[in-house]
Amino acid sequence: MAKNREAVKRALQMASMTAGVTGSYLGYFAQRIFLDENARQRALKQTHAKAGRRMTARMAKLRRPAMKLGQTLSLQAGLLPDEALAELTSLQMSAPPMHASLVRAMFRAEFSREPEQMFKQFAIEPFAAASLGQVHKAVTKNGQAVAVKVQYPAIREAIKADFSWFRTASKPAQWSKHLPPEVLDELERQFLEETDYRVEANNTAFLRKKLKPLLYVEVPQIFPDYSSERVLTMSLLQGMHLDTFLATKPSQALRDKIGERVFELYYFQVLKVEAFHADPDWGNYLFRSDGTIGLVDFGCVKRLSPEFAANLRAMYLYPGSSESAGFQRLLEQRYRMFGNRLNQSTRRALVRFVETFYRKVYPPEREKEHLAIDFADAAFIREYMRQATNLANSRGATPECVFLSRAETGLYHSLHRLQARVHTSAIVRRWQ
Amino acid sequence: MTREKPRSRKARSRRRPKRQTGKRAETKAATQRKILQATLRLFQRRGFDATTTKQIARAAGIAEGTIFNYFRTKEEIALFFFEEEVEHAITAVRANRRLARARLDEKLFALLQYQFEYLAKHERFIWAALLEALRPGSPLAFSARALSMRARYLGFVEELIASSLRRRNRTPVQAWAAQAFWIYYLGALLYWLNDKSPGKQNTIAFVDRSLKAGVALFVPGA
Repeated sequence: MAKNREAVKRALQMASMTAGVTGSYLGYFAQRIFLDENARQRALKQTHAKAGRRMTARMAKLRRPAMKLGQTLSLQAGLLPDEALAELTSLQMSAPPMHASLVRAMFRAEFSREPEQMFKQFAIEPFAAASLGQVHKAVTKNGQAVAVKVQYPAIREAIKADFSWFRTASKPAQWSKHLPPEVLDELERQFLEETDYRVEANNTAFLRKKLKPLLYVEVPQIFPDYSSERVLTMSLLQGMHLDTFLATKPSQALRDKIGERVFELYYFQVLKVEAFHADPDWGNYLFRSDGTIGLVDFGCVKRLSPEFAANLRAMYLYPGSSESAGFQRLLEQRYRMFGNRLNQSTRRALVRFVETFYRKVYPPEREKEHLAIDFADAAFIREYMRQATNLANSRGATPECVFLSRAETGLYHSLHRLQARVHTSAIVRRWQ
Repeated sequence: MTREKPRSRKARSRRRPKRQTGKRAETKAATQRKILQATLRLFQRRGFDATTTKQIARAAGIAEGTIFNYFRTKEEIALFFFEEEVEHAITAVRANRRLARARLDEKLFALLQYQFEYLAKHERFIWAALLEALRPGSPLAFSARALSMRARYLGFVEELIASSLRRRNRTPVQAWAAQAFWIYYLGALLYWLNDKSPGKQNTIAFVDRSLKAGVALFVPGA
């Protein structure tokens, strides 16, 4: 009984929660046009508190693309208090669980066959939740152990519906340029792309090849004969999710080692591969006690243009002052690249970001390279969130930055939970 | 008019010892099925109204008079199809042993899904049949045979509901819930017919979500 009640409750929560949170923002955006600066700050604070309470209380129970949209946008729109943001990014995004008959129905719709007819063995009970569905263990006819990801039906329609609704609801934020329409378009494009598992299959094969130089990373192999738009079959990777891994009480040395590797994995992708796994969900990393890492779920892989990657390479660990003409040129170049002009408040926000966060976490001086940054200190994340919010408030959002900051936030949270000490600048320099 | 009950493979094998006495009935059932197949092909191609019994006889390769030994009207042929469909779905749900332990919303989901899979090849015909059934006094909706088919179907739904409830939780509301399910079923059928999404996955999602909510609202305790 409780379970069924739960389903109804969830359905109702979905409606009330999306309306609730956006409702408070809507009110705030509407007011902000007319309020003076002081009143605006007060109103913002009230909105924060209201939205934060609603979010954190209900988000955990919500499982839908809307939630993912909420998560990504909340990072961008910069309207949530740091604590709520931290909560939000740590939530694991997953679709509603599917019962066996629903899984069968999806198989019949995709392959006109039952899962048991396709595989030698198929565990009808899922062993993990995925962002858009769930994962089943199976054995192919050749005896290969695989993970089969099955998508919840009509996710695509749900995303489209969420976006069209959100576009209307967030009009004030779009007018005020806090939420540029390009950002919404890019998000929708990326989310919709994630619903096509054939794209994910390509991404996986691509990164499997490109990440070969990092010997400690394992990327699954895809089985195209057992895959479709909504079913994806890949080799089964071993490993523990972060929580389980931490429960084994890994030594500081092991946590440092893994932390450095997670960190290197991110910068290797951004700087060398010029494409990165942009889904910060912790469920996507599988940790092993020998320090190797399994990486799964390549639905959200963001490819960078060569110019943008070059710009990032030049900006990271920039040796001169952030006020210098050279650095300012790089900033302007980045904004020109996307057809935007760098306005004064965004410029100020960026310089502040560099000074208060990046220079501290990534000291550019070579003589400081041997120093490890201790991510056990939560102040780093708080500072990052504060500055990211500040940047978003300066109306300087570009679609590329949304995904970079989403991945970066995930990275810092993982490092914080690992309580790892990382030689940040040395690693960035290695691949720069 | 007598008619062999449609049988599952299991039922058929059980009857095998009686084969000789049942031979006549089997030929009869085979002819009936031949007529049904020819009718479905024609309904699908030409529509319900434009199809005549003469054409059906020709397509089935039998004399027109023979048809009337089995079915008096083409509406009866259509009803026979739906009876087969209902029996197929009920048998499939019963044969799926895992379902016995499943939650009510999953049982009902599986029932609908087996029905839709059976109906999948005959969408155009089902449209026509639905429109026909809406006519006042249509034998497809109001004949004794149609009503008994509905009773059989809803009886099974009631059985599913009862099997998911503890004895002390059983209330008269179940019977009412089964009636509500009939209306829901017609709605779901319309949704399914209109669904153009690949693999009709919109219907899959709709049925899953609505059944979860519906079961929680109408059959508390299941």
